[in-house]
Amino acid sequence: MLSSLRSGVQGLWRVSSRALQTTTTLQHDSLFVHRDTPEDNPNIPFEFSTANQKRVDALLAIYPEGHKRGAMIPLLDLAQRQNGGWLPISAMHKVAEILNLPRMRVYEVATFYTMFIRRPIGKYHVQVCTTTPCWLRGSDAVLNAIKEATGCEVGGNSPCGKFSISEVECLGACVNAPMIQVNDDYYEDLSVEDTKEIIEKLKKDEKPKPGPRSGRFASEPLGGLTSLTEEPTGPGFGLQDGLKA
Amino acid sequence: MSLMKYLALDKVANFFNIIRLNGGIRGSLYKLYRQDEIKDGVLIGEDKFGNKYYENPRYFYGRNRWVEYADQYYLNYDASQVPAEWYGWLHYKTDLPPHQDPSRPKYKWMAEFTENLSGTTGQYTPYSTTRPKIEPWVPKKAGQ
Amino acid sequence: MLRQPLTRALALSSPTRVAPVVPAARRFAEQVSVQPEKVEVFIDDKPVYVLPGTTVLQAAAQVGVEIPRFCYHERLAVAGNCRMCLVEVEKSPKPVAACAMPVMKGMRVKTNSDLTRKAREGVMEFLLVNHPLDCPICDQGGECDLQDQSMAFGSDRSRFTDIHFSGKRAVEDKDVGPLIKTIMTRCIHCTRCIRFASEVAGVDDFGTTGRGTDMQVGTYVEKMFLSELSGNIIDLCPVGALTSKPYSFAARPWETRRIDSVDVLDPLGSNIVVATRTNEVLRILPRTNEEINEEWLSDKSRFACDGLKRQRLVTPMLKDSRGNLTPVEWEDAIVAAARALRDCPPDKILAVAGDLADAEALIALKDFVNRLGSENTYTEQYFPTGGSGTDLRSSYLLNTKIANVEDADFVLLIGTNVRFEAPLLNARIRKAFIHNETDVALIGPKVDLTYEYTYVGDSASLVKDLAAGTSSNEVLKRLESAKRPVVILGADQLKTEEGAALLAYTQELALRLQDNLQDKEWKVLNVLQRTASQVAALDIGYKQGVGEALAAGPRVVYLLGADGGVVTREALPKDTVVIYQGHHGDAGASIADVVLPGAAYTEKRATYVNAEGRAQQTLPAVTPPGLARDDWKIIRALSEVSGAGLPYDNLDEIRERLSQVSPALVAYGDVQANNYFAQARALAKSLQKPVSGKLDVQLKQLEDYFMTDAISRASPTMAKCVQAVLKQKTSPY
Repeated sequence: MLSSLRSGVQGLWRVSSRALQTTTTLQHDSLFVHRDTPEDNPNIPFEFSTANQKRVDALLAIYPEGHKRGAMIPLLDLAQRQNGGWLPISAMHKVAEILNLPRMRVYEVATFYTMFIRRPIGKYHVQVCTTTPCWLRGSDAVLNAIKEATGCEVGGNSPCGKFSISEVECLGACVNAPMIQVNDDYYEDLSVEDTKEIIEKLKKDEKPKPGPRSGRFASEPLGGLTSLTEEPTGPGFGLQDGLKA
Repeated sequence: MSLMKYLALDKVANFFNIIRLNGGIRGSLYKLYRQDEIKDGVLIGEDKFGNKYYENPRYFYGRNRWVEYADQYYLNYDASQVPAEWYGWLHYKTDLPPHQDPSRPKYKWMAEFTENLSGTTGQYTPYSTTRPKIEPWVPKKAGQ
Repeated sequence: MLRQPLTRALALSSPTRVAPVVPAARRFAEQVSVQPEKVEVFIDDKPVYVLPGTTVLQAAAQVGVEIPRFCYHERLAVAGNCRMCLVEVEKSPKPVAACAMPVMKGMRVKTNSDLTRKAREGVMEFLLVNHPLDCPICDQGGECDLQDQSMAFGSDRSRFTDIHFSGKRAVEDKDVGPLIKTIMTRCIHCTRCIRFASEVAGVDDFGTTGRGTDMQVGTYVEKMFLSELSGNIIDLCPVGALTSKPYSFAARPWETRRIDSVDVLDPLGSNIVVATRTNEVLRILPRTNEEINEEWLSDKSRFACDGLKRQRLVTPMLKDSRGNLTPVEWEDAIVAAARALRDCPPDKILAVAGDLADAEALIALKDFVNRLGSENTYTEQYFPTGGSGTDLRSSYLLNTKIANVEDADFVLLIGTNVRFEAPLLNARIRKAFIHNETDVALIGPKVDLTYEYTYVGDSASLVKDLAAGTSSNEVLKRLESAKRPVVILGADQLKTEEGAALLAYTQELALRLQDNLQDKEWKVLNVLQRTASQVAALDIGYKQGVGEALAAGPRVVYLLGADGGVVTREALPKDTVVIYQGHHGDAGASIADVVLPGAAYTEKRATYVNAEGRAQQTLPAVTPPGLARDDWKIIRALSEVSGAGLPYDNLDEIRERLSQVSPALVAYGDVQANNYFAQARALAKSLQKPVSGKLDVQLKQLEDYFMTDAISRASPTMAKCVQAVLKQKTSPY
C-alpha cells in the first residue's frame, strides 16, 4: 500500500515537474538591455574630470575628421576607469554626445565588448581564468579560495563591496597557469596560498606584486633553460662552403 | 348485410347525418368552405383554445381522429395550433385524451403552449453577437 | 553620421551603385560618356554583361536567377550577415556570399550546384536552431521569407538535437510603440530594421546589443521607435519578429483580397494595396512605384485605415424640427438638398471642397454649381489668386518630380516641414543627402528633418533677398553654383497674407536659377501642396479664398468633405442651409443641416492627382457602408432633382468630361511636363511686394503628423500614436 502511494506521488511529481522545469540558462551573466536602477540611470550626470578631459581631447586628436567615432572604445574605457571600473548609461550618453553619434551606436559597442561592465562592481574586479590549461593546473581551487576569502559569488559583488568575481575565458597566460587578473594586473602561477595572500593584501588596499608567484620572471621554464642553452650562432652558420666568402 | 347496405342507402343516411351534425346545410357549407371537408364523429374533447377533437372509427385508421379548429382562427389555422397534450391523442401515440389520462405529469416548469409564430410579428429573430464592422457617426443632440 | 567619407569610399555600401532605379524620364549626357566597360560573367553558364561593381546577386537577378536572401535588400546597405545567399563560384575554395561579392571578369557562378544547395541547407539549419516553430500563431505565417525558404532550400530535419534538452534561445520582447509588435525570439538578426531606421528613416534607435548567442536586436534602453516611416520595418522583416500591432491576429494573407489603390492621406499619392476580407479593410501595404513611393509607405497612410471603420456616415440625415440630425431615406435628403439649392439665389450658393475629394466628385460639383448659375466653388486650402494664379499648372506643382529630387545637388526648402507634410519626399531628400552628397537648406521654423541642413532663418524677407540675388547668404552662392538645384515652397505659406508675394519671389528665384542651368530639362520650382485633392481641384478650376465668399453671406453651403474647419457655423448667417457630403462625421457633418453619406477612398473608383500632377485612380476594395454612395453619383442624382441634370451617367462619361477640362486628369500614371514658367514669372512680377513676416508651418513635431484629416482623426491607432509620442517625450532617452 505504501509502495503504491509512493509510486502515485512519484507519478504526480513527474507530471507536475514538467511544468516546474526550466531550461538551462543559455544566458550571459549580464543583461543586454538596460534597466534603470538607482545606481545607473540617465538622470545621474556624468562628466569627464578635468584631467580626463585633456585625455579625451588627446584621443580625439588621433582620429582624422570624419572618423572621430574611432575614438569610441578609448573614450568608453576612459569613462569606465573614471567611474570606478564600470560604465554607467550616462557615461555612454556623454561619449555619444562627444562623438556626435546616435546613442544606440555607443550602446552597441559597450554591450559587445565584455570588458565594458555595465553594472556597479567592486573596486577590485577579480577575473579568474577557468579555461582548460588553467583548469588543469587547479583554477577551481583558486576560484574557491577567492570565493571563500571575499564571500562573493561569480558574477556578483562581495558584501563589503570591494570585490567582484568573474569567470573568464583564456587571458593568454597559459604558460603561467593558473592565473587571475585583478583590474589591470596579472597574477600568475598561483597556488591557493598565493591567492589568499593576494586577496588579504587587497582587502587592506595594498598592492600585491603582480606577475608569476613561482619565482619565474616571465614564462621561461622553471628549472632553467632546456634548449637554446648555448650562445646563438653567428651569421653564416650552416652555410655550404661554396657560398662562404 | 342489411338491405340498406346492399342498396348503399346507408351512405345516403350518413350524408344526411353528417349534414345534420354539422349544423344543417348552411353550417355544412360553411365548414366545407373553411376546412374542405365535413365528417361525422363523436366529440372527444375540446382544448383551451377552443379546438374540438372528434373521433369516428368508421373512417379508416389515420383519418378517424381529427381536429376542427376553433372559429377564432377562421382560415388561418395550422397544425401547430394543436397543443402538446392533444397532439399525442391525435397522432395515435395514446388512446386516452388528456382529460381522461390521470398519469400525465404536470410540472411547474412546463411552458405554456404557443403555436408556431414564424412569419408573424411574434416570431423569434436571431440577432448577431458580433460587433458591427462599421461604427456610424452619431450626431450630437441639439443644445448639447 | 552615415554621410561620411568612409561610407562613400566603400563602393559596396553605397546603394546608389546598387540601386537599379534610373528614372526613365531623365537622361544625363555626362553619365553616358563615363559609362564603364561591362564585364562578362556566367551565371549557371549563362553569360551576362554587367557593370563592374555589380554584385553576384544582382548579376544573377539580371538573368532571372533569384538567389535566396534574408539580410540583403535592394534599398538598404549590404550587410552580408545572413549567409543565405552563399553560391559556388568556380575556382573559389569556399562558397561566397552573393550579396556582397562584386563580380569579376569571367566569373562562373553556380547557383544550383550541390555545394550551393548544401550551403543553403546548412544556413537554414543554423537559422532554425533558435527560431521558434510557432508558425501557426505567427502573424507572418504565409508571407514569411523564412517559411518559404526553408520549404524551398531547407532540410527536413536538424542535427542540432541538443535543443531538445537545452531549449531554444529566448529574447525578451521590446516595446517599440503602438504600431509595431515585436516577438524578438523570432528574430534572425538580419539587421534590415536597423539599417532601415538608420539609413531611410533617419531615426537611429535600433541596434544590436550583446554578442554571440546573446546578441539581440533592439533599442537597449526603453525607447519606442517613433518615426513617420516606422511601419516599413514590418514589411522589411523577413520573419515574424516585427509585425503590425493593429493587424495582429486579424487574418492570414491567403484569406485577404488585395486591391491596388492609391493613398490620399498625403499629397504624394503613394501607391498602396488594400487587403480586405469580408468587406472590411484589414490593412494597407505599399505597392512599389519607383516614381513616387519606391516601396515605402508613411505610417499615417498605412495605419489610419482603421479610421475608415469609425465615425462613418452610413445614412443620409436631415435636421428635424428640434434641430437634431436624424436618419432619413435618400429620397428625402436629396429632395431637401435640392429644394434648398433651387430656392437659393445663384450667387448665394457656395461649394467648398475638402482634403479627400476625388476629381470626379470635384468636377461633378463644379458643373452642378455652375449649372445652377453660381461660380462659387472653392477649396479649403488657399492659393494666391494674383498673377497667373492657378492658370498655369507650373505654379502649383512639384515640377521637379519626386523621383528626380534624388538627383538634385542642392535643395532649398521654404516654409515647409517636408518630413511630415510628405514623408516619402523627405525620404527621397534624405536618400539624396546620404548617397549623392546633396545639401539642404531651410527657410522657416527649425524642425527636425532627419538630416543636417543649413538653417537660413525664418524671415520671409530672406526669400526676397535670395530672389533678388542681393542676399549675402552663402546659400545663394550654393544655389547659383548648383547644377541641379531644387526649391520647394510649402503650401502652408500661401495662406498667409504674404503668400502671393512669397510665391512670386520663389518663382523668381527658381526660374532665375533654372535659366542658368546647363540641363534645360531640369525644373527648379516646386510647390508642395498639403492635401490629395488640391491639385485636382486647381486643375478643374476651383477658386481660392473661401474666406471672402463666407463673408458675403451664402444662403446654401455645399461642403464636399470639407472638414478642415474653414467653414464654421459662426461664420455663416443663421438661416444658411449647410449640405455636407462626405464619409466621416467630423467638423463638416456636425454643422450640417443635410448630410449625404459618400464613399471613402477605399470604396470608390476615383481619380486623385498627386502633388506632381500625376493622375492616379483608386479602386473599390470594399463597398461603401450602409446607404453611402459614390460621391459623384450623389451629385448627379441631386442635379437631376434640382432640375439642372448633369450630362453624364456613368464613370466613362464623367471621365470624358474630366479629359475635356484637362487631359492630364485622366492620363493615369503619367505626369505631364510643365512649361510656361517664364510667363508665370512675368505675371507674378507685379506681386513682388516687400515681405516682413515669419514663416511658420503647421506640422512641427511628430505628434502633429498623425491626425490631420477626417480619416486619421477617426482612427484609434493614430490616437495611440499621438499618445505614444507624448509619452516618449517625458522619457529621459
